[in-house]
Amino acid sequence: MARLLEDDAKRLLSEHGLTVPSGQRASTAEAAAAVADAFGGSCVVKALIPIGRRGKAGLVELCRDSRGARESAGRMLGAAFDARRVEMVLVEELVGIVSEHYLSISLDAESLEFAVLISGRGGVDIEEHARSVVRLGVSPSRELDTDAAVTAWTAAGCGLHAATLADATKCALAAFQELDATLLEINPLAIDSSERVVVVGAMLAVDDAALARQPRVAPLVVAGSDRATRPETELERRVADINADMTQRGSARYLELDGGDIGFLCGGGGASLLLFDALVRAGGTPANYSEFGGNPTEQRVYDLARVVLDKPGVAGLFVAHNITNNTQVDIVARGVTRAISDAGLPVSFPVVAREVGVNDDEGRSVFEAAGVSYLGADVSLDQAARLMVERMKAVGSR
Amino acid sequence: MTLFSDSGVMIQGITGREGRMTAEHMLAYGTCVVAGVTPGKGGESVHGVPVFDTVLDAVAALGAGSIGVSVVIVPPLATLQAVADVVQQAGCDVVIATEGAPRHDVLRLLAIARDAGVAVVGPNSVGVIQPGRRRKLGAIGGDRPDRAFVPGSIGVVSRSGGMTSEIGLTLKLAGLGVSAAISVGGDDAIGLPPASAARLLQAVTGTRAICYFGEPGTAFEEDLASAIAGGSLTVPVVALVAGTFTESLPEGTAFGHAAAIIRRGSGRPSDKRRMLAEAGAIVVESLDDMASAVAGLVGGAG
Repeated sequence: MARLLEDDAKRLLSEHGLTVPSGQRASTAEAAAAVADAFGGSCVVKALIPIGRRGKAGLVELCRDSRGARESAGRMLGAAFDARRVEMVLVEELVGIVSEHYLSISLDAESLEFAVLISGRGGVDIEEHARSVVRLGVSPSRELDTDAAVTAWTAAGCGLHAATLADATKCALAAFQELDATLLEINPLAIDSSERVVVVGAMLAVDDAALARQPRVAPLVVAGSDRATRPETELERRVADINADMTQRGSARYLELDGGDIGFLCGGGGASLLLFDALVRAGGTPANYSEFGGNPTEQRVYDLARVVLDKPGVAGLFVAHNITNNTQVDIVARGVTRAISDAGLPVSFPVVAREVGVNDDEGRSVFEAAGVSYLGADVSLDQAARLMVERMKAVGSR
Repeated sequence: MTLFSDSGVMIQGITGREGRMTAEHMLAYGTCVVAGVTPGKGGESVHGVPVFDTVLDAVAALGAGSIGVSVVIVPPLATLQAVADVVQQAGCDVVIATEGAPRHDVLRLLAIARDAGVAVVGPNSVGVIQPGRRRKLGAIGGDRPDRAFVPGSIGVVSRSGGMTSEIGLTLKLAGLGVSAAISVGGDDAIGLPPASAARLLQAVTGTRAICYFGEPGTAFEEDLASAIAGGSLTVPVVALVAGTFTESLPEGTAFGHAAAIIRRGSGRPSDKRRMLAEAGAIVVESLDDMASAVAGLVGGAG
């Protein structure tokens, strides 16, 4: 779910035939006032951060003149919402809205369709009108049927403008497909006083996996916007940089958590969930979540291990995987033990490794030579987690 | 359905690094790999397996019906074309190992397969294994499948490829074995969701119980519970749903697999466990408990 900022999203939508308001970015209140003047004073000021429901959060304001725009921008700039700082506002010309409607498109993994949701009642309270939403499923191998779209908008109570709204829906779906989007939400999709359909509010998320074939979209993606409620931390950004090095094999994921004392260096996707639960059940407090695998190189393991160990308060390290199908345990052992050595940790720093699979005889030797408590196939993942917590308690009680 | 049979196996992308390694390990285990496909590499061979430029060439050379299943190990952006080719030109079942194919492509390829009546496991599946037949489709078990998988009467279905093997290992250490195991893939858009995979395993001869590994996100566990409650799944199911800790973290964050994401209150492991338990599954919290629960169901000689 890589999100774009609203003005970038609108520019892409306008290239697909949708009408969007004119607008300009401003990073100071003065600049916002100047843009407002250029629009003749009345305008809309919106905090330019990649989240939905800004209207409800007071991050969208209608302004009558440039003074109002200056005040609105001044209030928003520097404010934090969901721990995301507002660094820019979007100042847009005021649209003479006659009626507000709703359109969203997403991927339905179950029905294998594009799910087009429309409602005659757009605006900030769309969730309260959930029952008014009409769903149109569109097979990926077919185009949106115009008649079906007209019927849907008519059913949504927009019979008067159903034809133009259906055209806009077709444009939106074409954009959704061509941009490899995962979510497009247009709210409101307005009818203005000239009976045009205008995209007043837009949220666009695209598929990270498709960015390689979307060279125009890729640079517009807001870094860390897949994080639901806060921007990336510095340690998380370091892991993003580690992953960006395409010369290194393997994948690394890292999520910094509040507090905690156990450095969590685990994989794969399912085992890391199980291992984290097991630590918590045993009374442990992990300082982070991580997940690495895909037969990583020693350097990638080392880099991730350094990030895990660098978080303040980390007083022990838990290294574990499911029995590996292709990840080489000896390489994991070299990366981890080199990181421990370079981090200059005290001898008492507990490290438990439960690493079984490809080349684990060699891996065991490397771990044990570095003083790591190595556990093999005869120790279950849950037992390994319990041992880790016991080691933490033994060190803490000294 | 040719996933569980002795039919010939094709590997699309056999000349790549992963493709070569997977082919070697599949052959060493005893799998009947009859053909490989890589555009532009026709005429070569990999570990004795002939390579063809197209699926059509492979079918023409080996004869219709000689290929029962294809394992797709191609780059993410080539996945849609590879699956479209095999569905249209060979009409055989497919196991997709590739991870990270664009979501629009996955939607399209799954729709193509569904319309053609072809079974697809994955994408992002580590594979399918039948220890009793010494047949594996994909990297599952790596170079030493016997370390984790021994023949037996337990079916394994897992949203995590790694945990498919770890459960095999857990069962082995408990003196039990596996009839067949399916890694369904870590994404939310997959061809063979857990409930369907479990129904397939129930039909594999000798399966007396199913071990299931679930994760946060999707409605897969809810659907599995419905299959049990609705009576289409009658063998006993022992289920573990990992990721309880994710419930106390902000919604919308993905953990491990792309699909392991709680959104707007749906997809919580605690709800999934409750529904599975209400449907009649034995819900466990750890692999240790899973092993003892299964042993209790089938006795020592599983």
